[in-house]
Amino acid sequence: MIAEERLNLPLRLRVLQWSLAAVFLVLAIAFWYFQVARHQQFLEMAENNHQRALPLQAPRGVLFDRRGAVLVENRYAFNISIVREQVSDLARTTRLVAQLTGTPIESISEALERSKRLPTYRPTVVIRNVTEAQIAAVAAHRLELPGVIVEKTPTRRYPSESMAAHLIGYVGEVTDAQLARPEYREIPGGAIVGQAGVEQTYNPLLMGSDGARHVVVNSRGREIDVLGEEEPVEGRRLQLTIDADVQRAAEEAFRHYGFRGAAIALAPRSGEVLALSSLPAYDPNAFAAGIGRAEWNGLLTDPLRPLNNRAIQGRYSPGSTFKIAVAVAGLQEHVITPDTRIFCGGGASFYGRFFKCHKAGGHGSVAMREAIEKSCNVYFYTLGNILGVDRIHKWATALGLGEMSGIDLPHETRGIIPSTAWKKQRTGEKWYAGETISVSIGQGQVSVTPISLAVMMASVANGGTRIVPHLVRAVDNGKGWEQLPAPEGQHELGMEPANVDVVREGLWMVVNGAGTGGRGRIVGYDVGGKTGTAQVISNQGKARAKGDRDLRDHGWFVFFAPAKNPTIAGVVFAEHSEHGFNAAPIAKFMMETWFAKEEGRPLPTLGPPPAGTPGAAGTTVVAQRPAPPRTPAAPVAATPSTPTHASTGGAR
Amino acid sequence: MFEQRLYKHLDWFLFGAVLLLCAVGLLMIYSTTYDPIRERVGREFYTQLSACGIGLVAMALVLLIDYRTLSEYAPVFYVGVAVLLLYVLFFGVVAGGSRRWISLVVFNLQPSEFAKAALALLLATWFGQEKLSALRTGDLAIAGGLLLLPFLLIARQPDLGSAVTLLPVLGGIAYAAGLRMRLVGYAVLVFILLAPVTWAYGLKDYQRSRVVTFLDPSQDARGAGYQQIQARITVGSGGLTGKGFLNGTQGQYKFLPVAHNDFVYSVLAEEHGFLGVLGTLGLYLFVLLRSLEAARLARDRIGAYLVVGLASCFAFQVIYNIAMSAGLAPVKGLTLPLMSYGGSSMIATLMSFGFILNVRMRRFAN
Repeated sequence: MIAEERLNLPLRLRVLQWSLAAVFLVLAIAFWYFQVARHQQFLEMAENNHQRALPLQAPRGVLFDRRGAVLVENRYAFNISIVREQVSDLARTTRLVAQLTGTPIESISEALERSKRLPTYRPTVVIRNVTEAQIAAVAAHRLELPGVIVEKTPTRRYPSESMAAHLIGYVGEVTDAQLARPEYREIPGGAIVGQAGVEQTYNPLLMGSDGARHVVVNSRGREIDVLGEEEPVEGRRLQLTIDADVQRAAEEAFRHYGFRGAAIALAPRSGEVLALSSLPAYDPNAFAAGIGRAEWNGLLTDPLRPLNNRAIQGRYSPGSTFKIAVAVAGLQEHVITPDTRIFCGGGASFYGRFFKCHKAGGHGSVAMREAIEKSCNVYFYTLGNILGVDRIHKWATALGLGEMSGIDLPHETRGIIPSTAWKKQRTGEKWYAGETISVSIGQGQVSVTPISLAVMMASVANGGTRIVPHLVRAVDNGKGWEQLPAPEGQHELGMEPANVDVVREGLWMVVNGAGTGGRGRIVGYDVGGKTGTAQVISNQGKARAKGDRDLRDHGWFVFFAPAKNPTIAGVVFAEHSEHGFNAAPIAKFMMETWFAKEEGRPLPTLGPPPAGTPGAAGTTVVAQRPAPPRTPAAPVAATPSTPTHASTGGAR
Repeated sequence: MFEQRLYKHLDWFLFGAVLLLCAVGLLMIYSTTYDPIRERVGREFYTQLSACGIGLVAMALVLLIDYRTLSEYAPVFYVGVAVLLLYVLFFGVVAGGSRRWISLVVFNLQPSEFAKAALALLLATWFGQEKLSALRTGDLAIAGGLLLLPFLLIARQPDLGSAVTLLPVLGGIAYAAGLRMRLVGYAVLVFILLAPVTWAYGLKDYQRSRVVTFLDPSQDARGAGYQQIQARITVGSGGLTGKGFLNGTQGQYKFLPVAHNDFVYSVLAEEHGFLGVLGTLGLYLFVLLRSLEAARLARDRIGAYLVVGLASCFAFQVIYNIAMSAGLAPVKGLTLPLMSYGGSSMIATLMSFGFILNVRMRRFAN
């Protein structure tokens, strides 16, 4: 060892040693801080680094009819998706995929744009329901298309195509507007949700819960290992209240007779919907496959408004079917007895103005039953005049008219049953007694939805209980079928049984007597019913626009059967069918089908369409295109038809 | 030539600690290069194992010859390494944009790794001359000149990281040789004054971005900051006891680039946790303190300076790499001696410990 005091090497070495020890201590403290103090935070970051949960879409719940027939099921489809993380040149990839699959580049770009907020490792579906040829085209260019994958996903299949389309609805990708709503809080972007009908109302039950595939990926995002899979839980199976055959009967009959419109059949005691159709309709399969822009625009701009659910969204003048409500009001308010007779000479003057009956020669002296049977306008003018608009409003509203039925379908609209308060609020003007005269035969400002007329008919049929129509009977809770309780809102109207009987007898006579409902008669079943004609244009206008089919009156037929113990009640609304009796055969076919099902008999068939109906001329509902075109309807939103009401007229 | 008593004076503790670090390093290379799908380890492991063997042979060879005899040939080694570095510049093997290696068929030799030992031997010999009783500024300038040649040759490769490791060799020896602290103070002052100018004109864009990214890695989380962030996640996720051997996710799934090389310590921290870190930090500190003890015990200044020069270089690399592995220092291509993958580094480091053991072993010799 050298002895160099001035240098004092040992001291310098000691200093070096202590310095090193100090630096190592600092390092140890730093590691302690990261590894012990902040361990949890870094552990989570590490797990997020390499573990990913890729969603496995759950199949939606299957829908059955009331007797177990499958209405909606699932199938598997192939989608082309892009994993953005693995794509270096997104614009080029988008271009190439569009070119290879023959898909408009805009739709791919839009899909990618929508998924911008999702993690980049999540596959974004850019083309749904691809064909084998499209898959092959992409597969052949796999090397040029890193990050482009073909995924197999469950999708909806509607075996009966457009049947009950408005009732069942359709599915589609959740929209940005929906995601902003609280009820969609739990739903991830890109999810397929119900967009109309039962698919929408019962979406939370039908959706099930998605599973997940937990994978380990490397730093390039490539899957290295599968940690495990959480199986998706299929959505709940639902048993609907409808009878597929009655539903089919309604739609077949519409086509058979060449009308479009709406039909609803209810179980009058429970409020179960046995059939609900609106024609023309759309094919929900098109939506399940991922509807193209052109097809969607076609549906939106179609002047026949196939997206509009006429059964719950259409508002029309009820015509003579409204007389049922006026009759109930008259009897319940005791302003008249069943036997009170009123003379009809073909018309009568009220407040200085002459109102005609549809029978120019008059019905003579008629009491309630006969007035209903023959649909005597003068009788109901007089009764309405005695009642006043507010008492008519009271009972019409109680029977469900001008009210929401509460059916478990989205976007229902309400009709209008005028009253003095209503007019005051709407126009600021007072109600003139003369206006009540038109109202009392279902004209003037009265408008109703088909579903509300069906509710009224069910209330009369069941003896005075207002029901709430509903579409689901039971749900598979995972352990078996669980009956769903009837929805709240069903209530007694306090109608006197004798009064109900009188009205029902009148309605029976409409079909089985000298009334206009003869086409609805079914031997042995005591059908009760009432026709109605909703004017689309004033009488004067009608004369000018001779022959234009789109200006012809709408026809109504409300019905129930059997009269003593009704098991079916409902409404048929046949657009531009000119008269209610043209709607009656559709109702008849529905009822016949219903009874055949109930009694286990073979289903009935339709005879040749009667002369004078569009069906007889060989035209079909879908083929008819009215002119001039109207403003296109918004999808599923309420766009009621706005009939031109005449203040007076021949209601039959 | 190799006497029995020298064998008795060999520092077995230091030797054992060095071997232990080599073993830990081998395990970490095994872990970072293991392919769980094919269930086999990467060829890097076997290369490293061979390098350990060669390194131990080189260490033994260095031990056989008295370091004073070797110091007589210090200029020869220095010139030899300089020639090799020059050769590399013109004929070296290019990889990753740098020309650093000489191909020796079975493996590639990286002369810059041997430059440290050669420089340490030359400077120790120069400062250790009897006539040099105290360090003068002029001596320091000459020493700086000796450093500059290999420094520039290595920096030209370019391998600034390795070039910088030569600085602690001079720094350590100069300090041991009596460098006045006032001079160090001046140097620091000059550094501070020149820093803004250097920042503005002396650094390239990517170098500036490295510093900025180091201060705030999130600014460029996908680019320059990526490694720093990933390194910290890797270390932090290890926790107290670690995820276990072969169970580290960050290293195994390649979230950490060149894990077997620059970031081998991060993987150790991930798999063996804070306890593993404490253990290895302790081993490295033990090796360093024990080495400096050898310097203290050395029979002459050449031996003492040689040990201090080599230990300083070793300490600098260890501290910088470990700090970098936790995201505490800017990311720089600097290996962790005895643990990182690299044949030349391993052989050169074991050779260096050969010198250190040599000095201690011969403390009583005439």
